Amino acid sequence: MDGRVRIRVDHGLCVGNAMCVALAPGAFAHNADRQSEPLDPYDEAVDTILDAAASCPTGAIRVEDAGTGEWLFPPRGS
Amino acid sequence: MTVVDLDDLFAEEVIADPYGYFARLRERSPVHWNERFGLWIVSGHAEVVWLLRHHELFSSAVIRTTSGPPYPPVDPEDLPLFDEIRSFRADQLVEQDRPEHLRMRGLVHQYFTPQAIEGWRPFVRAAVADLLDDIQPRGSMDVMTDLAAALPVQIIGEMMGVPREDRGHLREMADQILYINRGEPYRLRPLVEGVRGILEYAEPLARERAERPGDDLISLLAQGERAGVFTHNQVLVNTGLLLFAGHETTMNLICNGLLAFMRHPEQWRRLRLDPAEAARLATEECLRFDPPVKSTQRVATQDVELGGRLIRAGDRIRWIIAAANRDPAVFPDPDRFDIGRQPNPHLSFGAGIHYCLGVALARLEGQEVFRALAERFEAFELTGARLKYQPSVQFRSLESLPVTWSA
Ligand code: HEM
Ligand code: SF4
Repeated sequence: MDGRVRIRVDHGLCVGNAMCVALAPGAFAHNADRQSEPLDPYDEAVDTILDAAASCPTGAIRVEDAGTGEWLFPPRGS
Repeated sequence: MTVVDLDDLFAEEVIADPYGYFARLRERSPVHWNERFGLWIVSGHAEVVWLLRHHELFSSAVIRTTSGPPYPPVDPEDLPLFDEIRSFRADQLVEQDRPEHLRMRGLVHQYFTPQAIEGWRPFVRAAVADLLDDIQPRGSMDVMTDLAAALPVQIIGEMMGVPREDRGHLREMADQILYINRGEPYRLRPLVEGVRGILEYAEPLARERAERPGDDLISLLAQGERAGVFTHNQVLVNTGLLLFAGHETTMNLICNGLLAFMRHPEQWRRLRLDPAEAARLATEECLRFDPPVKSTQRVATQDVELGGRLIRAGDRIRWIIAAANRDPAVFPDPDRFDIGRQPNPHLSFGAGIHYCLGVALARLEGQEVFRALAERFEAFELTGARLKYQPSVQFRSLESLPVTWSA
């Protein structure tokens, strides 16, 4: 992995809990509806982004390797 | 049916059928000033979502910013106890605003992430099986006391690292704290006993785990005190919160859900076709259709317009889950119980920064209970007289749910 990731937030699931924004403010911000939007480009360590994704109470965040398209979160099979 | 006083939230008809009452209210005015109780009632789905996502406009510090006697009234000589209850509640996570809220929640959230909680599935499944192994040969049960109230303390007790032999005591205290939601004039006494009980019980555990932390919840809270995030009292009070936040709520999910299945036998048969697969969406529909929490409160921090009405700084607001979950603007055919419903953006766990911390655990317990019941029982039948609900605006709690089954 070259270190760049692609982040997606499912707005059907995001309840505006703001955990991601609090944990990784360089990668997520709230939009006018107070739902989370991934920032592009982002400025945050990948580990921090993965932590934020895991902290989402509704599993609304997906992270993939920008180069290979491999799923990084949620782990495959879950 | 006529409701004499339109604003009487405790009228027998409203307690028995909140859905009819709040649907009529939502149609007339999704943001309504209730003259009798002096508070706003927000019942439209869009309005509730907007309110919950604007925590800076709507404070959760309800206990600290409002006064007034308990309602329904209590025995006058018990009134001093009310202050004790208020201070117990005021220090809880759910009553905090930012920035304190984020610091406190940040300490415990990783324990409750969906992935972390999924790891508890085998434990929860075994606990459900144990209970049902006991119950099944009897031929009848009160779902409330025998199953629904028995399960949650077992799970949270394990998460707190409470010794097994103390689980009975934990259940007693959790049951006493249920009086927070009752109408009896003497209710403050058992309630205070439960509150004092849990604070006393948690005290030595919190001390011990501050010294020798384990991977349990009380250790997590105790470490928070060391880090300066919690006061000592907040550690104890939030241990109490974690014990009972999932008690009454999960009880109601199990009872209200099973009742919905009994009233919609075709949906029960549908669940039984493939319980392992169907339980996930079915649990969401149980949560939407007859939500464990009917409503909670906020206080406006400044003048703000919502649904065309001007809410003033300091006004109290009740947001009604039981109304929003049946809003036809969001849910097609909202009064139909449909266990395959998807999407299902119900508000039974709230939304915004206070979105239920225990959501993954609540879902897990609901799924495992409905799945196990569907695997074991062909059909349930209600026994006993008319079902009654606790006289609460906040919780949708049956007094009991006695059932039998044919083997
Ligand atoms: C079916 C079961 C449950 C339902 C329907 C439910 C519902 C809710 C709702 C509606 C809120 C938001 C309150 C507000 O914004 O004013 C909430 C918050 C909370 N719930 Fe749950 N809950 C359930 C189970 C649990 C469990 C099992 C736990 C813990 C073990 C738990 C712990 C909490 C906590 C700590 C909060 C406060 C969160 C905060 O303020 O940030 N809940 N719950
Ligand atoms: S943590 Fe999840 S629910 Fe909360 S704002 Fe981020 S994406 Fe939305």
